[in-house]
Amino acid sequence: MVEHLARLTTGVPGLDAILGGGFVEGASYIVQGSPGAGKTILSNQIAFSQAAGGHPVLYVTLLAETHDRLFQSLSTLSYFDNMALGDKIKYVSVFQCLRDEGLDSVVKLIREETQRQSAKLLVFDGLLNARDRAETELDVKTFVAAIQSQAAFVGCTVLFLTSTRLQESNPEHTMVDGVLDLSDELIGERAFRRLQVRKSRGSAALGGFHQFVINDDGVTVFPRLEAFLPAPSIHNPPSSARIQTGVSGFDQLTGGGLPEGSVTILMGPPGSGKTSLGLTFFSLASASQPALYFSFFETPERLLMQAAAFGLKIKPLISSGAAEIIWNPLTENIMDKLAHQLLDAVKLSGVRRLVIDGISGFERAAVTPGRLVEFFASLTNELRALNVTTIMTWEVRNLFGNAGTSPLPDISALLDNLIVIRTEKKDSTTKQLISVLKLRNSAFSPSDFELKFLASGLSIASVDESGTSQIEEG
Amino acid sequence: MALIVVVDDEFLLADYLASLLIDEGHEVVTAAHGRAGLQLIRERKPALLITDFMMPLMTGLELAQAIAADAELADIPIILVTGGQGLIARDHGDLFDEIFDKPYDQSLMIEAVKRLTAIPRNEG
Repeated sequence: MVEHLARLTTGVPGLDAILGGGFVEGASYIVQGSPGAGKTILSNQIAFSQAAGGHPVLYVTLLAETHDRLFQSLSTLSYFDNMALGDKIKYVSVFQCLRDEGLDSVVKLIREETQRQSAKLLVFDGLLNARDRAETELDVKTFVAAIQSQAAFVGCTVLFLTSTRLQESNPEHTMVDGVLDLSDELIGERAFRRLQVRKSRGSAALGGFHQFVINDDGVTVFPRLEAFLPAPSIHNPPSSARIQTGVSGFDQLTGGGLPEGSVTILMGPPGSGKTSLGLTFFSLASASQPALYFSFFETPERLLMQAAAFGLKIKPLISSGAAEIIWNPLTENIMDKLAHQLLDAVKLSGVRRLVIDGISGFERAAVTPGRLVEFFASLTNELRALNVTTIMTWEVRNLFGNAGTSPLPDISALLDNLIVIRTEKKDSTTKQLISVLKLRNSAFSPSDFELKFLASGLSIASVDESGTSQIEEG
Repeated sequence: MALIVVVDDEFLLADYLASLLIDEGHEVVTAAHGRAGLQLIRERKPALLITDFMMPLMTGLELAQAIAADAELADIPIILVTGGQGLIARDHGDLFDEIFDKPYDQSLMIEAVKRLTAIPRNEG
């Protein structure tokens, strides 16, 4: 039988999931990273979270910086609680003890203080200084072993903070139960903060890099989506129901609309009507079919204006809570942050209709484009399992003529339905032609139809040989 | 000139305060935590104790309580210097003659030290 170890939750959004449920109680970890990587903010966040839950914390420093300065910088963070200081969290410096009496005395002092405080968490900041003081590797080894064994004895979890990146062959590395590596790297001109669990004894951690941010709330980690959701979180058999698009004529053409719980890519050049079609689908939101518009290009205000031009009334739907617009400008985004934000919003409101406008918002946020297929597989599988009917727009460059094949064929293989809009110019008029190239488990007409933008809404019309169009009767 | 015991686990603060007081003409001995501080006080019977709050082995509050409970030491005035635990300390205000929140104005500290050690004004 598999035994599950008791956990100490970190209070850091995303981190417990990466650690397989939190730190193992009574285990010891190294938190390493260069200065500025976020070790202090992270470990204090964990400390204050434990203290808020009533669990005493001992924070031991071997640094020259005064605690007062530490509190000053922490006081700008929302988790910092002055009232916990000296009560549930105790900061003590053992610098003088180390200087005057050596490592053995530090070990003894920490043992006594851990018991006095009944600490459930011990943070030891300054392992590097202890190394400097040690005369041999054996001294460091003995020091780390002594601290971790005496803490484990009373069920206290230990975090050793160090500003060097210790090699895997380092004695500290081999002795502790886990190693968390924080880094702040430049890729191109952008800076990325990333966290990696390099070692995790007795617990399956999500491997690889996970991006994180530091803001007023401290650290938030975004578990890499395909590692976090290797399979959908719930099992849901596919539905045979249809979800109306609201585009007059289109639903009749496709046997009632899009298959429920399917993912549709809507491809087309700029200005071809992708957003209008998305808004039409979005505007059929109701209490039983909540909708989410996840936008990268247009602000909520502009989307509402655009919708109003086709007689779509979206404002009341937003007021009633049936519809929501989330806008993330195409600036510096984090792909996994976007995905978690999207999935959290979907789960929170039980979203059934989703428009992602457009897919490139995710693509642009990818640090390593090589993982896009895995990322989208994970995202779309989860959306299907949650029974969300999704339209994702995909902008193609060539304005006229054939839209061509999709730029990333691997991704289009993950989709259920593919709808293409192209702009056709004849003499002095342009028109938008829409065609269904793929529709999951459905019979459909592969012909071109003209997409018309009327004040009463969007509709499609068949195109005859002479080039004139006929509005499809619903 | 008076003998002053300074107790603080943070050596930077202890050393700084010690040199400030030495410059004022006092004799200063320091300890890195409350327990060592109590031992020092028993040995040296200083004219004044200046202690930090949050320290290993024995906090400034526990130190003050130990001193108050010891008839031989109970008369020693105590200045508490805290880094955010001012409220807890003020709940025990009777134990301390002065409470300073870090960072403090050093001229006010010198004044308080002067008053509590009652240095005779014999300059000039």
